[in-house]
Amino acid sequence: QNYVVSPRLMEIVEGCRLPVLRKNQENEDEWPLAEILSVKDTLGRKLFYVHYIDFNKRLDEWVTPDRLDMKKLQFPKKEAKTPTKNGLPGSRPSSPEREVVRETALNGTTRRVLPPSQPGRKRKTCGTDEDSQDSSDGIPTAPRMTGSLVSDRSHDDIITRMKNIDCIELGRHRLKPWYFSPYPQELTTLPILYLCEFCLKYLKSLKCLQRHLTKCNLRHPPGNEIYRKGTISFFEIDGRKNKTYSQNLCLLAKCFLDHKTLYYDTDPFLFYVMTEYDCKGFHIVGYFSKEKESTEDYNVACILTLPPYQRRGYGKLLIEFSYELSKVEGKTGTPEKPLSDLGLLSYRSYWSQTILEILMDLKSDNGERPQITINEISEITSVKKEDVISTLQYLNLINYYKGQYILTLSEDIVDGHERAMQKRHLRIDPKCLHFTPKDWSKRGKW
Amino acid sequence: MSKLSFRARALDAAKPLPIYRNGDIPDLNDCVSINRAVPQMPTGMEKEEESEHHLQRAICAQQVFREKKECMVIPVPEAEGNINYYDRLYKGEFRQPKQLIHIQPFGLDYEQPDYDMDSEDETLLNRLNRKMELKPLQFEIMVDRLEKASANQLITLPEAKLLLNEDDYLLKSVYDYLVRKRKNCRGPSLIPQVKQEKRDGSTNNDAYVAFRRRTEKMQTRKNRKNDEASYEKMLKLRREFSRTVTILEMIKKREKSKRELLHLTLEVVEKRFQMSDFSGEVLSEVSVPLAEKTVHPAPICLPNGNRHKTENKVKSHKSTPKHHPHNVTVKAEPHFDFIRPHKKSSRKPKLDTLRPPSRPERPHTVNTADIKQYDFHSSGEDENPQSPSSEPDEENDPDGAFVFRRRAGCSYLSPLTEQSDGSPPVLAGLDAMWQRNALTALSVPRRCVGVARRRLGRGGRFLLDRPSSELDRALRHLDPDTFCPSVTHSTFAPLPTDSHMDTHTNTHSPSPFRTTPQRSLAQLLSDIQACRWRYFQPRPLHQNQRDESGRNALHEDDRKGGGVTGTSSSRNTVLGGITEEQFQTHQQQLVQMQQQQLAQSQQQGLRPSSNLPERPHVHVSNTASLDTLSKTLDSASAQFAASAVVSTPNKDGKTHNTAVNGILPNSGSSRQNKFSSSGSSSVRPSGASSKPLLAVPQSLPHGHGPLSSVSAVSPAHTHLNSARPCAPSPPALKLATVASSLDRVPKVTPASAIDSIGRDKNEPERLALNGIETTVAMEVT
Repeated sequence: QNYVVSPRLMEIVEGCRLPVLRKNQENEDEWPLAEILSVKDTLGRKLFYVHYIDFNKRLDEWVTPDRLDMKKLQFPKKEAKTPTKNGLPGSRPSSPEREVVRETALNGTTRRVLPPSQPGRKRKTCGTDEDSQDSSDGIPTAPRMTGSLVSDRSHDDIITRMKNIDCIELGRHRLKPWYFSPYPQELTTLPILYLCEFCLKYLKSLKCLQRHLTKCNLRHPPGNEIYRKGTISFFEIDGRKNKTYSQNLCLLAKCFLDHKTLYYDTDPFLFYVMTEYDCKGFHIVGYFSKEKESTEDYNVACILTLPPYQRRGYGKLLIEFSYELSKVEGKTGTPEKPLSDLGLLSYRSYWSQTILEILMDLKSDNGERPQITINEISEITSVKKEDVISTLQYLNLINYYKGQYILTLSEDIVDGHERAMQKRHLRIDPKCLHFTPKDWSKRGKW
Repeated sequence: MSKLSFRARALDAAKPLPIYRNGDIPDLNDCVSINRAVPQMPTGMEKEEESEHHLQRAICAQQVFREKKECMVIPVPEAEGNINYYDRLYKGEFRQPKQLIHIQPFGLDYEQPDYDMDSEDETLLNRLNRKMELKPLQFEIMVDRLEKASANQLITLPEAKLLLNEDDYLLKSVYDYLVRKRKNCRGPSLIPQVKQEKRDGSTNNDAYVAFRRRTEKMQTRKNRKNDEASYEKMLKLRREFSRTVTILEMIKKREKSKRELLHLTLEVVEKRFQMSDFSGEVLSEVSVPLAEKTVHPAPICLPNGNRHKTENKVKSHKSTPKHHPHNVTVKAEPHFDFIRPHKKSSRKPKLDTLRPPSRPERPHTVNTADIKQYDFHSSGEDENPQSPSSEPDEENDPDGAFVFRRRAGCSYLSPLTEQSDGSPPVLAGLDAMWQRNALTALSVPRRCVGVARRRLGRGGRFLLDRPSSELDRALRHLDPDTFCPSVTHSTFAPLPTDSHMDTHTNTHSPSPFRTTPQRSLAQLLSDIQACRWRYFQPRPLHQNQRDESGRNALHEDDRKGGGVTGTSSSRNTVLGGITEEQFQTHQQQLVQMQQQQLAQSQQQGLRPSSNLPERPHVHVSNTASLDTLSKTLDSASAQFAASAVVSTPNKDGKTHNTAVNGILPNSGSSRQNKFSSSGSSSVRPSGASSKPLLAVPQSLPHGHGPLSSVSAVSPAHTHLNSARPCAPSPPALKLATVASSLDRVPKVTPASAIDSIGRDKNEPERLALNGIETTVAMEVT
């Protein structure tokens, strides 16, 4: 079945759906339904860019024909065909289906080529209306200028829909980008894009990198170190003063942040780069950016732990650091929306642990039952009130009892929290933070 | 049970939430359903993504297990492991400084080429190195500079040579190599760069364009939409403020230059005094070659009724005249030019044409006059064109915006209506000249200047434009005295003077003046009839002297007036002043300051007597005095008088006007005609101006016996003042002559007012003044 007649391969066009073989985390074969986003011919061999329905875009990939289950090929519905090229949703991972992928595949229903999902995509278009974009000259209006994330997908076309960089070499690591990033186009065809580990400059070859390293003497991010504890340091970089580095950082980050936009310059942002020191220098682990002035209480714009460092607590460390900054500023903050899946998980986890920490530490003064207000939690943690509430809800801590709301800490919760905290050895030490917030509003333009 | 009916209150963030732990936890069965009352907070994710398989799985796992299971983690594309050549790549070690790292603001930018050599380049380098040494860095610098100087196309080889100071062979090799390399290069540049936006917006949708500049649009808070509007307003405000600042600076500059000019003028005068250049010859010699502007603001005589005739002149007058009520043709003064260059331009050619002839003779007498004028000028006269254009006729109607308005601090002189006595016969070629110019004599350096056209300069200075003519020589030897008496009167004696006189000194008694004029009238008449020339002499000082009315003190003033701007006192002097000696004028100049003071004091003194309101009066007196002194103050006064008259008896005035008109046409100057007509018709745009005009003419026609000449002049002057200076003079003359011949006493009220001024002085003056006051007040503002 793998080597279907080639004529049939010819029939596979963008928008087609069919099960595609992939290995899951347990290294088992599975055949999730996928949509063909693009077809290319290299060296006489066809490659198909597939998006696994209901999987995150980051798992999209080029597959060889032998991974396609041609027997279950579904041709695109008419509506779906057209939009693919012009950035309309046709090629986009489809709308939420509650069922598991495999079930969808079994059902073989492809009817939802998307229309239903579209409305959802449009939410949060601030100021720039999708409709106007589509209707008029086809030139979308520029996205809003605040923030760093695109909440609507109006600019999501087939180009940005697909990863364009195959591999990035950064220091000791090779990274597989998850999403499109607007590196110079001539570099996208390279098998490997080389980055200088410290200044993040992109280079087309190892030779160039070598040459570059003879000239680049950076061994740490080009900013002021505002935190250091152990090997962990944070550097603050002004997006206006150090444009080159900021842009390089953004280009790299874009490879792993779906909603990040690089539409505008980096001037209104500060970048906090977390590094880990070894004898070679301060190696970037992750970073978050932050608007100098946020109109919506955002204390984080984009946040990323580089893949090699993921799932080791660095993300939480970044988040914790961002709230430490907010504490110094005396403000509450919240991450810019939309959150990614990983972002949501990380933040929820951080919020849960932070709030539980407080709740568990509460002692009753006078033998009465300890109590606390949501505002107090918010003030202590600098976590925005809404996030506190949503976390309490998510943890199912809020209950209504005898005419009032109460917080209930079940054993389950307490145990889970304690276990989690034991694993969380990376913590920010506020004493090591040397940070003076600036009032950017008084500085003219950022 | 209660579930259904029960509705939970909204969650209050400010309300304490008791915490129940473990065993304390009550039976929450009741609570479960209520739980939903707490609004579900959005997760902050995009809906489609939120429902993604792996996330949901992870969330479930977390809720179930309270921790992440390895297998439940969201899968991500795998990263490869260690780079084994890392240590070779990143050589050396970096010691962690003890202190937190602080970046020096400029430490980073130390110039390194952005271009990094690749292996292809290395090949070339190796090849080149056989012949010469070329280090990689050197090569990179070359490429870097070439690339950065190039756009889509590599710069040309010659350009490259200019750019790089390298060995020719080397450069050529590298250049050729780059050309080839660029062809194969996919990107726009050998230095890979993120695509830049293009200003035309074509790249708005280009996914590869990043880091676009934020437009200037300011970031406004979303919750305040009006921020943007107010921001724009602020911008506008700022723009306007800065404009204001600019304007103020310019004003400051202007005033400074004015002051400088004043000082310079003073200096010149002093120098001249030291040199005993009382006749002004030295100055004239020096100044002739100079630009005309600077030349003579000096008060010369001016009665050129003729100029009015020529249209050109009229126009020129108009342009300049606004400031100068007098007929004197003045080159644009510096200020003037500064302010209205366009006018200048229009004027210049004409003047030039006119001038050349007159040049040789230029009598510029009193420069001193300027001094005071400057003072006044600084007050900002420039801004409004006072349309006391010398030519009354043509401009009357059309003026519109340029209608003459009296200016505070300006003196307006009455036009001289004189006959040229013995001035040589008109030559055919000279006709034109005569039309525009008049025989002119200076009162202070008593001599005949020859043919000149007078203009009124700023602050009442007279400028004489003198064409050169064959007659010059002959004219020069003319004794001004021969025709002076009548002339002077006509020029200066206008009603206003009288009025002033009256106010100032009763003693003067108009009679003397009038008498003098009368005497000369016959001559004038004959002259006028014989030839159409006009004679102009700045000051009627002679008369005063002759008049004998015992004001010696006044004489000085008069002199001053002749030479310079006069004060109120000077006015008086004008009437009674003696112009005999040249140096006297100089003295006058020097004494100006004193005079001013005197004048003020006099004015004050006058006020009470005249009962005029102080304010207006002062203005008037100042202006008038200045004018008179300079030359035509009379006119100003005439205006006042006229206005007064008008205010009182309009009808009479009208009648007079008509009479005037009739006369005017005879005078032969087209302008006069126009003027007169305008005056009569009272068509003039500015009511104020028209009024005075009317009044004046009236007075003239009636020509008070003694004053007749004066009165006649005065109307002209008024005209000038109000609208155009020069034109009126001829008609005025005629009127005067007529009057004189008739020996009538003005019966018309306006005339009577004037007459009274002249004769009765006391009462009429007051009336006139009163009238003036009111009118003046209006006009001045």
